Amino acid sequence: MTGSDNTVTGSGRSGEVVLRAIDIVKTYGATQALKGVNFEVRRGKVTVLFGENGAGKSTLMKIISGVEQPTSGHLELEGNRISLSSPNDARAAGIAIIHQELNLCANLSVRDNIFLGHELTNKGGAVDYGRESELAQQVLDWLEEPISPETLVGDLRLGQQQIVEIARALVADARILIMDEPTSALSASEVTVLFKVIADLTKRGVAIVYISHHLEEAIEVADEAVVFRDGQLVATAPAEEIDLPWVVQQMVGRAADYDFSDRPREYGDVRLSIQGVKVVSPDGSGRLSVNDVSIDVRAGEIVCLYGLMGAGRTELMEALAGREPIAAGRIVLDGEDVTHLSIPDRIAKGMVLVPEDRQRDGLVQLMSVGQNLSLSSIANLVKGPFVARKREAVEVDAQVKDVRVKTAGSRAPITSLSGGNQQKVVIGRALMTQPKVLLLDEPSRGIDVGAKGEIFSLLFKQAERGLAVLYVTSEISEALSASHRLIVMSKGRVVREFDPARTTRAEVMAASDTDAAAHNGSSS
Amino acid sequence: MLARLKANRSAIIAEGRALLALVIIVVFFASMSSRFLDTTNLVIMTRHVAFNAILALGMLLVILNGGIDLSVGSTVGLSGMVAGYLLKGWEIPGTHQVAYPSVWVVILVGCLVGMLVGVVNGILVAKLNVAPFIATLGMMYAVRGLAELVGNGQTFTQLFGQKALGNTGFVSTLHDNVLGLPFPIWVMIVLTVLCSLYLTRTPFGRWLYASGSNERAAALSGVPVKRVQVRIYVLAGLCAGIVGLLLTADLSAAVPEGGSGYELNAIAAVVIGGAALSGGRGTVRGTIIGAFVIGFLVDGLVLIGVSVFWQEVIKGAVIIVAVVVDQAQQRLQKRRTAKQVSGPGSSPAAPAARSESTVMTRA
Amino acid sequence: MFKKHLAWAVLPVAAVALAACGSSSDSKSDSGSGSAKNAANKTMAIITVDPSNPYWKAEVDTAQAEAKKLGYKTTVNAHNNDQTKQSNFIDAAISAKVSAIILDPAGAKESIGAVQKATSAGIPVFLVNAEIDQQGIAKSQIVSNNSQGATLGAQEWVKAMGGKGDYVELFGQPTDNNAKVRSDAYHGVIDQYPDLHLLQKETANWDRQQGKQKMEIMLQAHPNITGVIAGNDEMALGAIQALKDANKLSQVKVLGFDGNNDAAAAVANGEMVATALQPIVQGSTMAVDQADQYLKTGKTGANAEKQAINCVLITKDNAAKLHDFVVAQ
Repeated sequence: MTGSDNTVTGSGRSGEVVLRAIDIVKTYGATQALKGVNFEVRRGKVTVLFGENGAGKSTLMKIISGVEQPTSGHLELEGNRISLSSPNDARAAGIAIIHQELNLCANLSVRDNIFLGHELTNKGGAVDYGRESELAQQVLDWLEEPISPETLVGDLRLGQQQIVEIARALVADARILIMDEPTSALSASEVTVLFKVIADLTKRGVAIVYISHHLEEAIEVADEAVVFRDGQLVATAPAEEIDLPWVVQQMVGRAADYDFSDRPREYGDVRLSIQGVKVVSPDGSGRLSVNDVSIDVRAGEIVCLYGLMGAGRTELMEALAGREPIAAGRIVLDGEDVTHLSIPDRIAKGMVLVPEDRQRDGLVQLMSVGQNLSLSSIANLVKGPFVARKREAVEVDAQVKDVRVKTAGSRAPITSLSGGNQQKVVIGRALMTQPKVLLLDEPSRGIDVGAKGEIFSLLFKQAERGLAVLYVTSEISEALSASHRLIVMSKGRVVREFDPARTTRAEVMAASDTDAAAHNGSSS
Repeated sequence: MLARLKANRSAIIAEGRALLALVIIVVFFASMSSRFLDTTNLVIMTRHVAFNAILALGMLLVILNGGIDLSVGSTVGLSGMVAGYLLKGWEIPGTHQVAYPSVWVVILVGCLVGMLVGVVNGILVAKLNVAPFIATLGMMYAVRGLAELVGNGQTFTQLFGQKALGNTGFVSTLHDNVLGLPFPIWVMIVLTVLCSLYLTRTPFGRWLYASGSNERAAALSGVPVKRVQVRIYVLAGLCAGIVGLLLTADLSAAVPEGGSGYELNAIAAVVIGGAALSGGRGTVRGTIIGAFVIGFLVDGLVLIGVSVFWQEVIKGAVIIVAVVVDQAQQRLQKRRTAKQVSGPGSSPAAPAARSESTVMTRA
Repeated sequence: MFKKHLAWAVLPVAAVALAACGSSSDSKSDSGSGSAKNAANKTMAIITVDPSNPYWKAEVDTAQAEAKKLGYKTTVNAHNNDQTKQSNFIDAAISAKVSAIILDPAGAKESIGAVQKATSAGIPVFLVNAEIDQQGIAKSQIVSNNSQGATLGAQEWVKAMGGKGDYVELFGQPTDNNAKVRSDAYHGVIDQYPDLHLLQKETANWDRQQGKQKMEIMLQAHPNITGVIAGNDEMALGAIQALKDANKLSQVKVLGFDGNNDAAAAVANGEMVATALQPIVQGSTMAVDQADQYLKTGKTGANAEKQAINCVLITKDNAAKLHDFVVAQ
């Protein structure tokens, strides 16, 4: 792809097995993460791994990419037994991985990040910036991303950073490319481009291993589907034979049960009233990232805000929470103007945000589950100058039960929880402030199907108690099945409003691509 | 109780290491010199430790926030010089009358001077977004200059006050024994207890740990991170002000260069005590032990007559070894947590429960 | 050795006299670029060590006052014994085109380059208080005779000790040449008495607080000492404070060096046996006068570049007369 057609297109036909994992067992202490897995990767095919968090897919990918070594079992590359003791070994064998977490240096340019650790040098041993820039540009063009290789990564938005992470793996010229949640921050159009790139790669004979929580997307790109459950490979099927219900059933061992569209709708008074809010984009361009948005949310109502990346959803949420100032308009909470209050004051008045990026904005990693839960309400859990520790423990334990956090105890470190349970802790923290309005930005990002269902059922339960909920999502199925009202945003404006029970995915998708200026607020 | 021990495992390991270092130091010097464990000697060494320990408590607060305060040494000098100036008589501007403030007024003013320096640090860091290293480095120079300006470079001596004016007793108040122990040791004990309560029992303590570990998350959770930041610098300044007064009483002289270099000893104590310079991790207990490690080491080496050059080498080596061991432990800890997280199981509750048992068998 | 110092001691008097003549004949002088038609437009750069120490403060204050009296403007900087800072201040003085530099150098070897730099730029340098290891670059090197002063002090202290007893030593900053010179001179006298035993030697870096803390611990190791010799007054005063706290001051004889005001008070009330006054006021005055003379006539008026001024022993007899490094006549 970067000009050289070497090992990638070497001998062998498409569909042949390139890599075979044989009887892989991996144990951590007393626990078995993989219980004897046999797994094949085929040349020129996209193999999609399905499975809930902890099912073993990430562990297997770590073994294949040399990050971890199997307890027993081995790998065969094109029929030859190999052992990979480090990621560099794997890279040398032609195996590259796109990690779920971004591993980029914000203060280096896109080019420097793409070639970090594998710099191209000229004869004198100096870095050949010219050739690096050229190759970086080629890869970025291929990904149809209009970023200059000289841009600092820190200046890019999250989705573009993920593109850089992908570009970094692409320049490795791998014959096996592992993609672990490559699209979590990408917009719909960027995902389309990525899929085109994947098609290009498979045509050249590259084997792709693809992992995503976004099931529909994964089914779309798959040639082969492999489902993991509880450390074992439970099902394999060619893409033609699978559909979403099948995948979900294989993953959880039963049919998914989250459809809340039939829940009763009894709303109270308007809790949150967003009135003509405008937010100036923090990137300094002077552009309005939120342009004249007005939304009312009533007690007991769950409103879903759907839109593509860059629609202004996150910016609106941050403005509502009080992190970013608003340029115009008013925010009224339960009849009271809170437009100019600080974050703590807004929380005290009853409005709190569950942020999008759990690791960066949600969790206090060095604290326990309990301390994370009580962080927002600790100032109210006092006796004299001190924290009322008994009361804190009682309330934390109640909350752990209420939001169903699966943990060894409230004193366990927060990092010992799975992603879904961490998310429940962040939501539980917000609920402990006894909010009137709960804002959630992508509450289901990066968590498995089971946990998603639990989180939405929790939201509906809270709504029945009178909470007003406004949440952002990028998954249409979620928007349709788990909301009372669906609002679509595009380019900073509200473009349409739907009753989720009386609309289709096609309608919603079409609305989200609307040119906001032409269709502002009108229904077609 | 067991659960609590496990939850605080990393903290206890870090402190345990500092404690082990302290035990080794005590055993070593006790075997080298019979005077080391003598009560008088222990009291003297503890008094020396007290100055650094009090500074280190303030430094701990700042470091927990992920900051650093290089200005505390200079603040020690300034607070001492202001106290010395006042005790020598303050000529009220515009008049020819000289005021001799009482001991407690002097002590109050000394503390306020420290807090004022802290307020400036806090505003620079929290409101003007100056990096803590730079802000406090600048203040380190500026405040030292002020300390020299107070006496125009002179030392204030013979700070015993004048009986006729009723301002005697500065030295005796802050230096003499109270209930068998020198006053600075009592101050250290009281501040240690207060600081410990503050950090572990109040909402502020929770806010401090949270904002030091993940400031963005803390801010979104409603923690007033800027207020927390200002407050810790004020408290660090207050600690420095107190030390300035105690040192002045100890010497019965206010020296403008008093306290220079003390900031580094305070940082060393905090680090030996297991705190992370990146913030969010560290305890009062560990910090106090760290201060004792440094103080006993320095005095012990003098007691057994090791050459001054070797004293410096050994002190440096102890700090480095402490941090290297800490890093290794952190890595171990991380690997363990990583394994726990990637542990499998259809029900997410299972790995958590199981990893707990793993820990117990290893611990 | 001793005789030679005595001989040098006579020189400054002559130098001062010559300087006085020089200033009265300035209208006739037109010798070279260094000459000053109108001193009021001229500046002297004074670079000292650390004015927060009363000793160097006296040095600066004296030099400034003397230069002002002779009609010069002055700039004052302190290098804190940091040769990089010293070099920067010299650069600044060169670019400001000052007429002369009065320098208390940061290190005997380390300062040669800095002095050379100024001299090459046509700016005469006059060293005061400390010397450099090379002759012929600076116009004058005026130092107090540390060795002679320490010898006098040690003799007085041995007398107070009765020629016997155990003692400890507080040593100055090890990188400072004077720390060694004074210590050597102390031992040159003391080591002749076999009944005087040095039990421990600790550095306290010229600092009062360190002097006190080190003394406190040494008192634990050696509770029965009867003497302390210190490389300067600050450390000696720290030791005295430690001895007071331990109620042992009456049994211990303390020796200082420098002759600052606190030390004078301590000597006067019997807490300190003796201190050696460094005639810094005299040295500083001489340096400025010689600079003025050189600017007007092209000659310093002194017979040699290196000039040593003898220290004055301060004991109970004359301590009351000592103030701000000058013994009242």
